[in-house]
Amino acid sequence: MATFESKHKYAHLQEDIIRYFLILAATISILTTFGILFSILFEAIEFFKLKSIIYFFTGTEWTPGVENSQFGALPIFAGTFMITAIAIAVALPIGLGSAIYMSEYASPNARNILKPLLEVLAGIPTVVYGFFAAITVAPFIVKIFAAIGVEASFNSALASGVVMGIMIIPYISSLSDDVITAVPDSLRKGSLALGMTKAETIKDIVIPSALPGIISATLLGISKALGETMIVVMAAGLRPNLSWNILEDMTTVTVRIVDALTGDQAFNSPATLSAFALGLALFIVTLVLNIVSVRLIQKFKEKYKMSSL
Amino acid sequence: MAKNKVKIAVKDLNLWYGDKHALHGLDIELYKNKITALIGPSGCGKSTFLRCLNRMNDLISSTRIEGEVIIDGQNIYAKEVDEVSVRKRIGMVFQQPNPFPKSIYENVAYAPLKHGIVKKGSDCDELVEQSLKSAGIWNEVKDILKEPGTGLSGGQQQRLCIARTIAVKPDVILMDEPTSALDPISTEKIEALMLELKKEYTIITVTHNMQQAARIADMTAFFHLGDLIEYDETEKIFINPTQKKTEDYITGRFG
Amino acid sequence: MNKDNIFYDPTLKKRHFKSKLFKYFTIASLVVSLLFLGVFLLDMVIKGSSAIKQTYIQIEVSYNQESIDSYRNAVDKRYLNLLSRAALREIPDQIQANPSLMDTKAVIWMLADDQVDMYAKEYYYKISEKDLETLKELEQNARVKQKFNTIFFTQGDSKTPEYSGILSAFIGTIMTLTVTMVVAFPIGVATAVYLEEFSKQNWWSEFLEININNLAAIPSILFGLLGLAVYINLLGLPRSSALVGGLTLALMTLPIIVVSSRAALRSVPASIRQAGYALGLTKVQVVKDHVLPLAFPGIMTGNIIGLAHAMGETAPLIIVGMIAFIPDSPTSVMEAATVMPAQLFTWAGMPERAYIERTAAGILVLLSVLISLNSLAVYLRKKFEVKW
Repeated sequence: MATFESKHKYAHLQEDIIRYFLILAATISILTTFGILFSILFEAIEFFKLKSIIYFFTGTEWTPGVENSQFGALPIFAGTFMITAIAIAVALPIGLGSAIYMSEYASPNARNILKPLLEVLAGIPTVVYGFFAAITVAPFIVKIFAAIGVEASFNSALASGVVMGIMIIPYISSLSDDVITAVPDSLRKGSLALGMTKAETIKDIVIPSALPGIISATLLGISKALGETMIVVMAAGLRPNLSWNILEDMTTVTVRIVDALTGDQAFNSPATLSAFALGLALFIVTLVLNIVSVRLIQKFKEKYKMSSL
Repeated sequence: MAKNKVKIAVKDLNLWYGDKHALHGLDIELYKNKITALIGPSGCGKSTFLRCLNRMNDLISSTRIEGEVIIDGQNIYAKEVDEVSVRKRIGMVFQQPNPFPKSIYENVAYAPLKHGIVKKGSDCDELVEQSLKSAGIWNEVKDILKEPGTGLSGGQQQRLCIARTIAVKPDVILMDEPTSALDPISTEKIEALMLELKKEYTIITVTHNMQQAARIADMTAFFHLGDLIEYDETEKIFINPTQKKTEDYITGRFG
Repeated sequence: MNKDNIFYDPTLKKRHFKSKLFKYFTIASLVVSLLFLGVFLLDMVIKGSSAIKQTYIQIEVSYNQESIDSYRNAVDKRYLNLLSRAALREIPDQIQANPSLMDTKAVIWMLADDQVDMYAKEYYYKISEKDLETLKELEQNARVKQKFNTIFFTQGDSKTPEYSGILSAFIGTIMTLTVTMVVAFPIGVATAVYLEEFSKQNWWSEFLEININNLAAIPSILFGLLGLAVYINLLGLPRSSALVGGLTLALMTLPIIVVSSRAALRSVPASIRQAGYALGLTKVQVVKDHVLPLAFPGIMTGNIIGLAHAMGETAPLIIVGMIAFIPDSPTSVMEAATVMPAQLFTWAGMPERAYIERTAAGILVLLSVLISLNSLAVYLRKKFEVKW
């Protein structure tokens, strides 16, 4: 009886140890998020002790290297926005169109082949896209526009935007395909039974039903584009440039982060610390986008679970 | 039955799902301004047959159909007939209420606007009102037309779907077990509505509920394993069927 | 369409046309996406395939004291500019390593300069007129030929493009990913087991879930900032090392492993657990002996996908300094190292044309490894897939 008890106790102890180990492991994921937040936040605070936070968000001069350096990130945010906008302009129609074809027109067999094939695009390392953008696409764009007498930069926002768009296609198409497929068939039948054509059914009934999911996918794509680094480091410019001309060179938040941290400046110089201020802005924006995106998807799921159509 | 005017004449209708022969040479005449109930055990082909009448089976790529379905003298499977226009004239109400995730107003107005039956504006408003009235739901929804149709109760949703179907001004309304997902009170309302609607439309309904068929149908067709076993006036089918199988089914010996 | 039948609808012609257009639009989108993929792969193959071969020149080398003093004396001065400086520089070492060579002469195939290689491959090249003449003469005497490029696979990085290879980056990748997996695998699986088998549905587990979701969506470069601030500045771990790179990637890979491991655990039916409990096993025993073994193939699949993901990552590694110039393979995780994508990034930024084909070739190697890993994951999933 005594042995039985002690064994029992031992088993409980072991059980507890394992349980605590598991909790510890799970906690690391939280520590990482907060680690990122705080490591960026603290350095960013250091930066804002040295330089004006208001000028950071509203100023247009970014001159880190020189004496009396200026840190106005507006042109950097603008460049990031422009390149992201180009990427989404490429990825959204193509990604959504592909998703509609796969979910509404393709046979299940074709879909099983096409979907993974598209996802290959998401598996290609971004450094490879960067190389493609810098070596193939950018010169091609320069050549095309030179042919019609327009001058384009070899570091044009267009080149990195387009290639980034290609990279984002599978993020948009995969999730959109999932939500479109999840739209209950009864809605399609209901529309077709009213004498609607297939395209009308898709455009007027299916897509609006799947809209929260499609928006969610797009937000995810935007978040990917904002945070994408290698393509822009390799193909976009370094010069903060406040311009609407997508054929000019522009720079992005991520490019300036990389530039600030691969230089030789002392770690606590404002030039280096500016990377963390930019990183903080990037972190907050992508986090908000992601949270909104997840909420939308949840809503979509709840809607079609509850009404059990 | 000379007093009945034939609306739909089905001639030697065969249907295959892949290799499976699901309907075996059906011949039947369905009458104008009557409610015809299609009954039979599950898998008997009654729903499949119903979907043949508005070419909804065309949506399943492995289906093959032979034979004729003649509506007002025109075979809807003839080459020159567009299946989309067939579905416009032959409306359908489904087992599960399936309002679109749009407002109540848009649910009804969507198809008529697309078909060009009405233009946006007062004509459209009027059609929506009229359709909702015909479906007996106007009083319940007239103040919430802008709210989503999916927010209504199941029975209301089904009547909204009926309104949506009526708005296209069809000749025939097909109903595929329209009350099987509803509570008894909603069912009663729908049944009353069907009796009202048959004055203007020809109604074909599939039901698994024999009491319902007995209550509302003028004609009843009994299907079994892809065959039309018996088709007659409802009273006759229920009181004095000629076929042994029909009798067995009616009396609950299988089902 | 025949207008005589009662089902004729005049609006339909236009609507069917629009419907068709819409379908063509969706097909076009898909074709364009796949075309991008095709063009892109083709572009890499075209740019990278020439790196399979490397140009060599047949030359007489004198091994003597003068050559030891300066490699410039080892060959006929006329050919000096046509030969790889890196190869010439090795001659004194070769003599020292093998004294029997002293005061001999030998005719060997020596690695050519990158510009000669570009010339031989018919790319743009920059060779002085005098050298070009010499080169053409050599060509006529069949003293120029292309051989399989073993250097690319057996050497590390080099400032002379013809002598650079991916070996050190490959070793660096293996070391970095080893660190990554050693850290991420146990933590990731343990987190998944905790969330799926032990935690109760409460605010804590929900918080954890949201966290892991967000972690997956954080831009990778921010993990680099974390690595820089915490591992290097706070903990003082060596910059550019495989250890820091691996730890940084581990945190990035964690959410992928957690999510896929959870899916694998969830696919084990409850009946297995109930059977275990019915035998009087504790929760830990049930999970350890019954659930985990069944979920293992799925967990492995997720890990391989996470590994492939980490293998292609560059941005955070640049931030923690893994773009250093690494000619020799690192021997420990504390040494400065580089990884394959970072090596490609460095090469892509080089001005010499010869680095472009090497970058493209490196990309092909990297993609082959990634495709193999992903195929392995698919294979594992198919092979061990159990239908419950």
